[in-house]
Amino acid sequence: MLFHTWPFLVFVLIVLPVFFALKKTRLWIPWLMAASYFFYGWWNPYYLVLVFYSTVLDYLLVTLMDHCPLGGKGSEPQRRLTHPHFDDAVLKYAFIVAALLTVGAFTLGIWGPPTLRPTMALLGLICLLMTLGALLSSRKIWLLISLINNLALLLFFKYARFVIENLNAAFNWMHWSVTLPDPSTLMPFNFPYVLPVGISFFTFQSLSYTIDFYFGKVYRERNFLRFATFVCFFPQLMAGPIERARHLLPQFIEFPEVRLKNFTDGASLFVVGLFKKLALANYLSFYVERVYENPKSFGAPALMLATFAFAWQIFFDFSGYTDMARGIAQVMGFRLILNFNNPYLSTGLGEFWTRWHISLSSWFRDYVYIPLGGNRGGAFRIYRNLFITFLISGIWHGAAWTFAIWGILHACGIMVTRELERSAMYREDVPKILKQIAVFIFVCFTWIFFRAESLSDAFLISGRIFKAAWTNPEVPALMLLLVFVVWLYQFLLELPGREVLKTGLVRVSVVVAMVVYLCICSSGAGSFIYFQF
Amino acid sequence: MKEQTTSQLPDISFVNEVRLNARHWTVAFIIIAFILLATPRVWKRVERFETTADYRIPYGLSRDYWLYQRRLQQIDDPKRIILFGDSVIWGEYVLPERTLSHFLNQESGSRNQFVNGGVNGLFPLAIEGLVDNYAKAIRHRKVILHCNLLWMSSPKADLQVQKEEKFNHSRLVPQFRPRIPCYKADANERLSAIIERNVQFMSWVTHLQNAYFHDKSIPLWTLEDDGSDPAHYPNSYKNPLAQIKMAVPSDPAVDPLRGPASPRHKPWTANASGPTEFEWIELNTSLQWAAFQRTVQKLRKRGDDVLVIVGPFNEYIVAKDNLGPYQKLHDGVVRWLTQEKVDYLAPEPLPSELYADASHPLTEGYQQLAKRIYSDPGFRKWLLQK
Repeated sequence: MLFHTWPFLVFVLIVLPVFFALKKTRLWIPWLMAASYFFYGWWNPYYLVLVFYSTVLDYLLVTLMDHCPLGGKGSEPQRRLTHPHFDDAVLKYAFIVAALLTVGAFTLGIWGPPTLRPTMALLGLICLLMTLGALLSSRKIWLLISLINNLALLLFFKYARFVIENLNAAFNWMHWSVTLPDPSTLMPFNFPYVLPVGISFFTFQSLSYTIDFYFGKVYRERNFLRFATFVCFFPQLMAGPIERARHLLPQFIEFPEVRLKNFTDGASLFVVGLFKKLALANYLSFYVERVYENPKSFGAPALMLATFAFAWQIFFDFSGYTDMARGIAQVMGFRLILNFNNPYLSTGLGEFWTRWHISLSSWFRDYVYIPLGGNRGGAFRIYRNLFITFLISGIWHGAAWTFAIWGILHACGIMVTRELERSAMYREDVPKILKQIAVFIFVCFTWIFFRAESLSDAFLISGRIFKAAWTNPEVPALMLLLVFVVWLYQFLLELPGREVLKTGLVRVSVVVAMVVYLCICSSGAGSFIYFQF
Repeated sequence: MKEQTTSQLPDISFVNEVRLNARHWTVAFIIIAFILLATPRVWKRVERFETTADYRIPYGLSRDYWLYQRRLQQIDDPKRIILFGDSVIWGEYVLPERTLSHFLNQESGSRNQFVNGGVNGLFPLAIEGLVDNYAKAIRHRKVILHCNLLWMSSPKADLQVQKEEKFNHSRLVPQFRPRIPCYKADANERLSAIIERNVQFMSWVTHLQNAYFHDKSIPLWTLEDDGSDPAHYPNSYKNPLAQIKMAVPSDPAVDPLRGPASPRHKPWTANASGPTEFEWIELNTSLQWAAFQRTVQKLRKRGDDVLVIVGPFNEYIVAKDNLGPYQKLHDGVVRWLTQEKVDYLAPEPLPSELYADASHPLTEGYQQLAKRIYSDPGFRKWLLQK
């Protein structure tokens, strides 16, 4: 169910009134959870199994972690292995249940129905680790299981085919007679092997909860329904923003205050998001697709303009989704974190990443970059950390070399410009507009790798931008006009003239213009780019 | 990346100034509602729409239901009689001034008593939607409804097959109930069809697209290619507003696909297609027939005096051993009309050479049919009754 479609309107018209009607009861959380599961199941009911499994496991793991002593006091591995004993009854029961499940899962993994064996074998491994975790009373092991489980889901559904194809190609190149089977053969009951929408988002969100709990940054949520609602909260389930437990979970404790401002602010956000998606992103996508599908047929201006168009398409598409998500949540009284802050006004690449997909970049910063050492250590270590973080960030977007290169390009860009951005000369002497344009051009260049169908296409496009003939790009003037109007609006926001934009007349005019434009000129109901990630 | 904790994340709700308070929203809502309500009405006044006695909705504007509605609203004389139906009424192979309505006018000696209310590509399930949503202006009038048995000639024609079929006028058919098995549109498409039918502004937008933008949204029109190889995009730099000529396009002065001069205008036998075995549908299971029945009832509920013309189907095209089921179907239709006390005519088939295919007459066929209808005492009686 997409935000910009009529079924979603029907869904909201049912969900919201019931949600507010349940204000004085305890049923509003189960209702939110049921609505979120329905929303997610609308795509493919099989996906629900996955999100439910991930939720249950992380809930259990944190519960068990909470029963283990802090600071690793409980884990005297050798003693506990040789003389099993349990300080906590919950861990004792967990040990028994996990041990039984391990035996059951391995039994099915060996003698069960063939299509179920790989899944059962993996489940057996998870249960075995859980048995060990209970026996050793170790918080680390519970965290490890959560990491393994969430990352394994992500790796299997998102990257397995890519990895296997590359390995098979490598074996073939080395003349080894080994061929790894396609991951679809590992699916239980021959279920179709398809990438579950939003898997990268809800696994990261759930994972952040277990990591934060391990480090004592978040309280343990005892109410399962509340935790499940946190993992699958429908406005941000499919494409973020990736919320942190400490920000969103407390909002589910009490029914949010019902305020008129929530409705007006939420509606404002939603309309802007809808306009970004339907009027701008979808329109731009047609031109981008035309050129990127067959880059050989287009001259340099068309390739440049298509790349420029894609930069705006992905911004409008993703930030439009986020605006709508935040708008819907706000109407209900929940606040989701800001995910985009006019990124194309950035004056440096470092700043760009504090404005673009903020929830993801902060996730990588907190759970990858800082654990790697962050800004501590010498320049080499910092650059190494940056490189690894951006490489992983690139791969997070998809299983293709193009995404890896995209991440590497950003890493290189940041490494090269980091010192420059810190210098007084750059900060004070270079005109802001020049810095903004330079950053925008670099980001556009990296988008070539993000959007291209293949690595060879990406190199072809980057080459042809400089070498191909200057032919008529036949880009719709209306499309460019719309983009420039939005860009200009963004620039105006940073000028003293911003006050004009704050007047009621301008605000109302902008909304009326957007709604009327949408009614007359919307460009179809295409899906969101980030759903594939 | 700067090291900062999540609690230090910017807690900003808005990064633009498009943030309306309740007062702003009220004003915006009033303005938007005014625009949505007023635009189609104002448009009717300012856009030229010239119709003649034999006017029919141009082929290219077949999906412009807002225009269809506007056309019917223009017919304010209660004595004028609308002919509702598919391409048989519209005149698939003939020129606008050679359709059934034209010849009926000729027979009656009036210039414009009979109005061509047919639309190319319709079928009973779509006629039902058209009558239901866009022909509300036709109340307490005499109307003629054509019943084309072709739509019950196979499960495919009856839209009963399970496999997805693309068909014309899908936005007019029932979107949820009764279920049409071969119609597999997603919920969004179905709901948007319902909304378009019920919100004048949305129908007007479709009119705009049909009349001026080659049946496309304005952004898609700017991206339209010219069909050449390599493709060119002639509309890229054009101003879309300049396309709106404020005059409803009419049929081309010379239609190469219709009329005696057209190569299509020839007897069905010239196509060398012999008799056909049809898989006639049982009436009680037919979706199209059920829609036809509902249409009759809806029109009568509006106080319209309905006369149904059944066929005449080209029986010469039906294989001999297939005539029995056809006759059974025909008799079933007639029986229901009799039972429901609906006035009807079931003319005998025209001579074989006056059919272009299974159901469409050629020019002379329409002329003969009009003569037969007009000379029928039942028809005369129906015309005279108040």
